Amino acid sequence: MPTVATTTSVDSSLDPVGPTEGSDLPDFSTDAYKDAYSRINAIVIEGEQEAHDNYMSLGTLLPDQAEELARLARMELKHMKGFTACGNNLGVTADMPFAQEFFSPLRNNFQAALKEGKVVTCLLIQALLIEAFAISAYHIYIPVADPFARKITEGVVKDEYTHLNYGQEWLKAHLEESRAELEQANRDNLPHVRRMLERVAADAAVLHMEKEDLIEDFLIAYQDALTDIGFTPREIARMAAAALMG
Amino acid sequence: MFGLIGHSTSFESARNLARSLGFEEYAEGDLDMWCSAPPQLVERISVTSPTGKRIEGAYIDSVFVPEMLSRFKTAKRKVLNAMELAQKTGIDITALGGFTSIIFEDFKLLREQQVRATTLDWTRFTTGNTHTAWVLCRQVEDNAPKLGIDLRRAKVAVVGATGDIGSAICRWLSQRTGVQELLLVARRPQPLADLQQELGGGRILPLEDALAEADVVVWVASLAQASNIDPSQLPRPCLMVDGGYPKNLDTRAAGDGIHVLKGGIVEFGSDIGWQMMEAAEMAKPQRQMFACFAEAMLLEFEGLHTNFSWGRNNITLEKMDLIGAASLRHGFQSLGLEVAAPIPSLSTT
Repeated sequence: MPTVATTTSVDSSLDPVGPTEGSDLPDFSTDAYKDAYSRINAIVIEGEQEAHDNYMSLGTLLPDQAEELARLARMELKHMKGFTACGNNLGVTADMPFAQEFFSPLRNNFQAALKEGKVVTCLLIQALLIEAFAISAYHIYIPVADPFARKITEGVVKDEYTHLNYGQEWLKAHLEESRAELEQANRDNLPHVRRMLERVAADAAVLHMEKEDLIEDFLIAYQDALTDIGFTPREIARMAAAALMG
Repeated sequence: MFGLIGHSTSFESARNLARSLGFEEYAEGDLDMWCSAPPQLVERISVTSPTGKRIEGAYIDSVFVPEMLSRFKTAKRKVLNAMELAQKTGIDITALGGFTSIIFEDFKLLREQQVRATTLDWTRFTTGNTHTAWVLCRQVEDNAPKLGIDLRRAKVAVVGATGDIGSAICRWLSQRTGVQELLLVARRPQPLADLQQELGGGRILPLEDALAEADVVVWVASLAQASNIDPSQLPRPCLMVDGGYPKNLDTRAAGDGIHVLKGGIVEFGSDIGWQMMEAAEMAKPQRQMFACFAEAMLLEFEGLHTNFSWGRNNITLEKMDLIGAASLRHGFQSLGLEVAAPIPSLSTT
């Protein structure tokens, strides 16, 4: 019979392995899963706690926005409680010291900017980077989460978009005077996000979350925010490269 | 607004393109970095038809390169993320170029409609296959006579006859062009038998036997491996229209009565003022493009915001008529034969 490929397959590797390839659920009851979850869960809890604290701090720099920021902060505390419940549900104790150390580079930079009254830098770190990081991680996590955590995470991710949006709107309205500071803050902080993603990659893989997915998803959320703020594709590609090249 | 989703032909050319477009950091990155890079809207384009109608569009590079084909999840993500970007950008009709539609089809991405917060709206996308099929038929009809081949007395082999484009070409050639005989070449026997029945004719042959008889060969199969064709076995003259992706036949190998034509390529009547077709290695990058891309422009010109070409074996002659008439009306010409230097051996790369 003829031997020429007539389907458009150009390569046998193009044949899909199956509809669920890579998206099978992990076994949530294994020690390996729980061990990895203890750190990932802690990162999420700590992330929400820091987000709360950061929005409250931002309220001191933007007094006329303090009420709105306090509202965002309360949402973060609610998320933190939800994620704490996810750990409890699996019988996992979150490794909080690990998570606090994990966030320290971004926390230190945020605190330094806060002391200097640098609103733009604070917003970039919290409302863009941390929120985009959270959104991407939650997106990748949802399809492989246990049913309890899945439901909670789906609720959280909707809220996080509104938080990303908050930073976006403020920066958009103040783009011209913020541009230089944003670019500098991007240079100073994006490599930290890259390193955080690298550090968490092995544990995330146990949860069936892949590093490549996490990085691309993070960059899409970040890129979308920068586009909305008013940067051009080339400027954004240049800024985002700091995350890719690390 | 129309959209084009494309990609570079290799990682190396992608890096060079990134450098030339001012994406210096990407140019320096390795393949792993590119695997994690999000799609980019790299260019906005406006095109004015000879009718005076002006349309706006955008070119999105999916940041996919063929070296990623072996990474199933990466390739899939590149296509879906580029489609999501097209939809988020508000593009009404986007053509899936190069490997994009191949990956979409072969990886069965219809199952992956939800991309993060976006539910992909399939009516905003087209494979562009209807226009590609029409252009390939037109290329056969226009160029065979130039070589003294009378199609009414010619045997025309369609290699990849049962695919979406291949089956449409078979229908057109048998019902509209009236070729003497269609030689049907494909890998799987059952779809071939079905096609033969649908056409009410055509002879099923292995590739080598078909090549030994064919006055015209239309390639719409993409070959996994290089396969050598023995030119001494081919009739003279022979018109080979290479409509596969990537282009498998080396045009430099033409000669000695064998004429290879780049298939499925159209030329616009004036310069478009874009950079992207340089990457697709077109001979006249300011005017030439894949017919599938042109389909998105045609649908935009005609205000047909629908997935005109979608799924498999849905291309009707009526749709080919419609897109063909639009193609002519808006100033697109199918690529014709150029004089080629004779080189003794013909091989696929």
